[in-house]
Amino acid sequence: MRAKTLLLVAIAICLAISFSVPGQAAEKEKWVVFSVKNIVNPFWKACWVGAQRAAAEYQGINLTYTSPHKSDNIDEQTRMMEDIILRKPDAVVFVPVDYTAMVPTVEKMNKAGIPVFNYCNKMAGGKYEIYVGSDDEKLAYEMAKFVFKAVGGKANVIVQDGVPGASTAQGRHKGFMKAIEETPGIKFLTAQPANYNRLMGMQVMENLLQRFPKVDIVLAANDEQALGCVEAIDAAGRLKEIKVTGVDANHDAAQSITEGRLFASADYAGLVQGYLATKAAIEYLHGNKVPQKIILPVVIVSKENAKKWTEPPEKKPLPKWEDILKNHATW
Amino acid sequence: MATWIKQHMPLFVRISTLVLIAVFLGVIRPEFLSVNNFINILRQSSLIFLLASGLTVVVLSEGIDLSIGQVLAFSACITGWLLKTQPMFVAIMAGLAVGSMCGLINGVLIAFIGLPAFVVTYGMMWMAQGAAAMFMKAEIIWGFPKAFRFFGARNVSGVPVPVILMFIIFVILYVILKYTNFGRYIYNIGASYEASRFSGVPIRKTQILAYTLSGFLAAFAGVVYISRINAVEAGIGEPLLLPCLAAITIGGISLYGGEGGIGGTIIGAVIMSLIINGMNFLAIDTYWHQFVIGAIVILSVWMDQLQSKKFQTA
Repeated sequence: MRAKTLLLVAIAICLAISFSVPGQAAEKEKWVVFSVKNIVNPFWKACWVGAQRAAAEYQGINLTYTSPHKSDNIDEQTRMMEDIILRKPDAVVFVPVDYTAMVPTVEKMNKAGIPVFNYCNKMAGGKYEIYVGSDDEKLAYEMAKFVFKAVGGKANVIVQDGVPGASTAQGRHKGFMKAIEETPGIKFLTAQPANYNRLMGMQVMENLLQRFPKVDIVLAANDEQALGCVEAIDAAGRLKEIKVTGVDANHDAAQSITEGRLFASADYAGLVQGYLATKAAIEYLHGNKVPQKIILPVVIVSKENAKKWTEPPEKKPLPKWEDILKNHATW
Repeated sequence: MATWIKQHMPLFVRISTLVLIAVFLGVIRPEFLSVNNFINILRQSSLIFLLASGLTVVVLSEGIDLSIGQVLAFSACITGWLLKTQPMFVAIMAGLAVGSMCGLINGVLIAFIGLPAFVVTYGMMWMAQGAAAMFMKAEIIWGFPKAFRFFGARNVSGVPVPVILMFIIFVILYVILKYTNFGRYIYNIGASYEASRFSGVPIRKTQILAYTLSGFLAAFAGVVYISRINAVEAGIGEPLLLPCLAAITIGGISLYGGEGGIGGTIIGAVIMSLIINGMNFLAIDTYWHQFVIGAIVILSVWMDQLQSKKFQTA
């Protein structure tokens, strides 16, 4: 008796599946793969939320994401992308964990006829329909200029670099140095690496506070290490005399800015990058033309506007696609 | 007396290296030789030491624990998350329990199933990383209660709490390794696995205890870590293994087991912090930092080999 019921249920399920499958196929769902560099950093989560918000604006988009389990691992991303190529997605929104080492992988996608939409870190080669990103050098430059202006153009400045050799860290270092060289009242003390890591940011700052009795500004390469600096400076009781800036404008950094601890941060806009790159991919799949390049405008987050950035990425406002195409795109 | 000096020669070499570096830095940059900066260096070494201390015990028994960084991260995530809703005591205990559990699993797989330690702990490294990432869902938890910040960010009569914790753990491990059966067994297994098997050393029990201790101390270091930076995310464990291994090799603990002691780990940890502190003081260019650390690790292992050869022939 029981076996019979089971059999009936099984048949019913089979029937249900056989009816539903052709139904889905008829709608011709488009499969878009969204790639991130790791699953631990909130920045990539914000990118992914942006991608989901783009896909939610359309019908019939199947958006999935892929990430190496070991952060920023070249071998793993190569393997994962090879698997995905075999399964033939309609589009791949791609960020390389290494902008030169992943070129062969992008070329494989080109060969398989899968359109690539590059975001965040620009590929050194291969063919892609669009690049969407923030300009690290410009971001760092504007951040430095902003805080120099706030202190009246005279200050002793420390630069805290990110991971030595990373393209973002190089760009940000260049931007900081350019602003320092251009501003006559600024005295450059030193540039030391803290690897985008909060603990290292804190410890390097502890060391530098012993070394330099008079510091006015610390330009940190990202928010994590900037917040580490803030902890170190606060512990030394010198938070009133030293202004720390970061890059990224993560929501804990924004919170710290509203509390008057971190001075400011430049928005790296993961949410917007993920949103625009995915939107470009979907527009492309709908047969619309997309620009070659979208470089996001620099937005400085300081005490005046930080409240908005304390919101989670699901709730933050997004730019208008038409507006971006008009003002920030290169065709 | 002569044999005592001979026996402790590697330790003297290391302490004099340490003093030499310090004097060198002090001559170039007088600010380096301040009480505040020494406290600073000790505070920075304490985290490396706490994490490397459990690893030291494992390495002395000719094992290896590659998972310490990620076990630290996973248990710290649990502690950090629980701190939001639960009393501090519960949060810390849960973190320590998770860390010990990871260590226990390592130990059981190595001792009873006989899998190679580097494979098991490498697997655990991935599992703990994955578990931490799933648990945190790429969020950062930040802003811990004032009382919790005691462990990482406060001083007791001028001495940072992490430094006090470092010395407490040092004394406990020193006594355990020197005066208990467990300690003797660790050295026996490290010196010769076969010999200790035939002489009736409870190898399995000792190994399991060693790996559990390593997991526990990783979780303990995790409490100090997140209390210090006032935040936790799943990725904090990744850059930690190499500095710990470096501290251990610089401290003269043989990676082949049985040689060295917990005192070496403290010296190794201090030398590691001293080098970074020194590079910051001398304003060494960003690109040289990683190079210098790598070179020092190779140099210290090489020195160790030369030394042991010399002592064997002498």
